[in-house]
Amino acid sequence: MRRGLILIALMLASGLAANRTLAFMQTRSGTASLVDTTSPQVRLPGTIFVSQEGAIFAITGSKVRRLPLPAGGDWTQPRVLPDGSLLAVRRFAQYSDLYHVSAAGRVISQMTSDDQSTANKNLQLDHWILWPAVSADGATVFFATDAPKAAPTKSYEVDFSLWSASLGAAMSIGDSGVSGATRWSFPDLYTGGDIQPVPLPNGSVLYSSYTNNGKGSVLSVLGLQTGPSSPMVSLTSLHQDCGSPAVAADGVTVAMVCTNSGQTASLEIATLQGRTLSAPRVLVANCLCNSPSWSSSGDGLLYMNASNPDGNFGLWYIANAGGVHPGATRRVTDASVDLDATSAAAWLDR
Amino acid sequence: MRRRRASLKTGRQRAARGSFVAAGFLASILAGMALYFLPAIQVALRDTGQANTSLGGNLQLKPVSATEHLSSTAPFTLLLLGSDSDSKFKGHYLTQSMILTRVNPATRHVTMLSIPRDLWVRLCTGRYGKIDQAFLHGGAQCSIQTVGKDLKVHIDYYAWIGLQGLVSVLNNLGGVNVTANNPVMDDYYPADLSGGSPFDYERILVLPGAQHMSGSLALEYVRARHDDAYGDFARSQRQQQILIALRAKTKNLSLADIPSLATSLGSDFQTNMSIGQVSGLLPIAGSVPLASITQVVLLPPYTSTLNIDGQSALQPNWPLIRSEVAKYFPAAA
Repeated sequence: MRRGLILIALMLASGLAANRTLAFMQTRSGTASLVDTTSPQVRLPGTIFVSQEGAIFAITGSKVRRLPLPAGGDWTQPRVLPDGSLLAVRRFAQYSDLYHVSAAGRVISQMTSDDQSTANKNLQLDHWILWPAVSADGATVFFATDAPKAAPTKSYEVDFSLWSASLGAAMSIGDSGVSGATRWSFPDLYTGGDIQPVPLPNGSVLYSSYTNNGKGSVLSVLGLQTGPSSPMVSLTSLHQDCGSPAVAADGVTVAMVCTNSGQTASLEIATLQGRTLSAPRVLVANCLCNSPSWSSSGDGLLYMNASNPDGNFGLWYIANAGGVHPGATRRVTDASVDLDATSAAAWLDR
Repeated sequence: MRRRRASLKTGRQRAARGSFVAAGFLASILAGMALYFLPAIQVALRDTGQANTSLGGNLQLKPVSATEHLSSTAPFTLLLLGSDSDSKFKGHYLTQSMILTRVNPATRHVTMLSIPRDLWVRLCTGRYGKIDQAFLHGGAQCSIQTVGKDLKVHIDYYAWIGLQGLVSVLNNLGGVNVTANNPVMDDYYPADLSGGSPFDYERILVLPGAQHMSGSLALEYVRARHDDAYGDFARSQRQQQILIALRAKTKNLSLADIPSLATSLGSDFQTNMSIGQVSGLLPIAGSVPLASITQVVLLPPYTSTLNIDGQSALQPNWPLIRSEVAKYFPAAA
């Protein structure tokens, strides 16, 4: 009797084991927090700030720490100021705001307040502010915002244009634009507009400008403006479909991501020669590359990439990327880490 | 003699007991496996051609079997349909997405042709209307009949998916990696999956460039259309992009993934393919190289804008469209 019960129990256990074995065989694609992994796998000088799942992490030497920024919203797109403090975007579901924070993660100031819904129930009056950048002297902040909107409650049109303001200036984003700031660009409507400003040492601004090619596609060119509202000079062709520009400390070496009107992208390097760009050379071909950024003083290049079409987005590094013989591509973060690929790393290597 | 008989009897009893125990273990293991695959079996019986290979109505789809197409190298045509299946439609769905797909397993070539939802056509009912209404009037069979007759093409299979089903499947697969073409913004995006009123709006923004998209972000990417120079055409291109990205996911799927996928689809999926054919399609999809995928979107001059019956629609240029379709798809018999 007792032996029979044991046998029945064993039979049931084997059924359960078969069931759980199948469950275990399911494909799993988990991701890990940056602080819980063996990252960084390449030790780089200074501090690198990256964004993952709404938090900003600082990688210093072999250590990773999460900045203790206020809870709520997603913190993304950190940019380093010359004094070591950061600009960062705090993105909520319907709007985003720009913040000035210390490298330790303390909020120094909230620079914009784009949630209009408390005063007005039309959420179309809310705004996005993204892609902050800072001039070499740290005095001027550049950004992209979806203001102005021609008729926010009557029109579908919402596109980014570029603006600049003094760091510390009182800014207010509204229907007609940004008070306390200077407008730089006028976007091609219904394309997404102008984004990712990069201020150059000579006062010009390089950026990604989305354009309707009139043949069924919206493509991006690298645009150059010498001053606010000056005409945009296209440095790349529509066919190249280049964006995400980053300029090295020398002020002329440009990293960019181009699709060449295909399904995959390539990470390319070119040299700015006045109002033209040299023929690009490909650093990484057929990749899911995004968001290149340079070291603040040298020509080390960081970028986001997934090592395979189904893989996690990690931080990658190329030494001497602007030189004739660039180094090999090296993954900085652990393969289990999935970073925000639309947020370029900010690297202060001094 | 008596002792020998007793020994034989004991041996037979032992053998019988052993067989009983082995059968018990086998039954238990099979029961455990069956319970694991139960969601897939339920979906197979409810939503696939396992139980219903004939769609009825005016159109009689040729019943097909796995050996006839998917396990062989014969090419086949699949009509992919996608609907806003939220509560505001109360089960009366239009198809916001129609992608006619030709798969050639032998050459590992796939052609995807997006049919604009506003295309003004003769529907299966005999009346004229936008092609997205075909599903409303007669479900998948009316969509197949309408597309088949208007584009003069033979369709072997269909697969329909609702919004929540798409989000769940993408989440179940761990999301997809996609290179977004441009900033995709919409201040009047329907907030129908947020749990509030299905008639509310929300603001959405998908940033450009390569990135990992969750199910809900991917849905925003393929569904947004208001702030877009090419409106529905652009969103058709983005829908094809997500399908191509999904192809990378199918490479890593195993049989053990089928039940959770079936559970995530819930009632938001229908097809006339059997579950064997659906699972047979996955390795084919995973083996198609990117360079072997042809994408077609019927921009002008294939279509032109049309105002009819107080609504904005698209006038098809049938000679051009049918000539393009004939390049990739077999004609209807």
